[in-house]
Amino acid sequence: MEPSHSLFSRIRLATPADVPRIYKLLHQQAVFSHLTYDFSATESSLSATLFKYAPFTSVTIFLLEVSPNPLTPSDRVIHLEHPLTDPERETFISDKVNDVTVVGFVSFFPNYSSFLAKHGFCIEDLFVRECYRRKGFGRMLLSAVAKQAVKMGYGKVEWAVIDWNDNAIKFYEEMGAQVVDHKWRLWWLSSAALEKLGE
Amino acid sequence: MAAAAPPPPPAPAPEPSIAFQESSRRDNPLFSRIRLATPADVPHIHKLIHQMAVFERLTDLCSATESSLSATLFNSAPFTSFTIFLLEVSPKPFPSSERVIYLDHPLIDPQRETFISDNVNDVTVAGFVLFFPNYSTFLAKPGFYIEDLFVRECYRRKGFGRMLLSAVAKQAVKMGYGRVEWVVLDWNVNAIKFYEEMGAKVHDEWRICRLTGPALEKYGDDAI
Repeated sequence: MEPSHSLFSRIRLATPADVPRIYKLLHQQAVFSHLTYDFSATESSLSATLFKYAPFTSVTIFLLEVSPNPLTPSDRVIHLEHPLTDPERETFISDKVNDVTVVGFVSFFPNYSSFLAKHGFCIEDLFVRECYRRKGFGRMLLSAVAKQAVKMGYGKVEWAVIDWNDNAIKFYEEMGAQVVDHKWRLWWLSSAALEKLGE
Repeated sequence: MAAAAPPPPPAPAPEPSIAFQESSRRDNPLFSRIRLATPADVPHIHKLIHQMAVFERLTDLCSATESSLSATLFNSAPFTSFTIFLLEVSPKPFPSSERVIYLDHPLIDPQRETFISDNVNDVTVAGFVLFFPNYSTFLAKPGFYIEDLFVRECYRRKGFGRMLLSAVAKQAVKMGYGRVEWVVLDWNVNAIKFYEEMGAKVHDEWRICRLTGPALEKYGDDAI
């Protein structure tokens, strides 16, 4: 019988020490989404804005970490046929001693539905590094937010998906989400238009 | 959520769209101001939300009550969390009127009694905007997300929607925020035109996904 290669995983709240890894993950996500033209975050602007408020009351980041060694607490363990090759392991290592690597994240903030008169969460980002995809980690991250929403008595979890991302849409539907009626369109005022209107 | 056939679009407003024909005489003034809502405003807010649900043909999704609104809307300081700006109008000047318009004819508000907020000074609530901070990781900046923007029917086409949106924009600029976002129904041609004129852009490659009701509740089970 083939020896199995275990991969232990856990989700935890990000801390200021994680900013360098968060920055790199965000940038990878921007590349994947073809949105690098819209990307102006730096490690310093992230540090200054991400940790001002208590978790769940404002923007919050859950990090997904994996290790070949058991983690405490461990949310999940999977058994792979072959050892996983992570070409960016060094870049994303968060605990060298225990061989723990950051493989993905979800960022979210509270929103409000006036129709339900209830709070909810809006997910801004959900991203798993390429070599860790198709192993249920995206599901783990989305479930963690959903679980937190239910725990807090919230009414919904929402997010936006780019219409060409068929894999993501399929994944979300399998998770029980609905693509809200196509008749809703997202609009925004970017900073230049905002400055003009705010005068 | 039942997928209904799209309703017939509202008739596009006649030109000009935002600028209306202001009277050359100074008769029939309508003074207006924007202020933060307080818990005392909940009955009006509840009715405004319901009117908006009627307009959007989504009343089956609107279950808010005065009591659930009171319990959830005023738990934090303004702008750090969910915030409502109310638009109020009066034929009499406010201590700090933000705007005055002069109408050809006195405006008839069939719901004036329902929305009066100050009987002595003849002040009526004409609309509202509900917004809260969001966060763009790509910009590493907070922004505002507008959940609702609504002006009562008899007060439309007078620049009040613009006033409400500008108030949110002004607050965003004041706080150094990066963006103000919202969603619009694709059949709402008047709204689309209005937002374009305000300098906003649609990003229609994005689709909204939602996890709610029993599908969300099942994630609360430890088995997941």
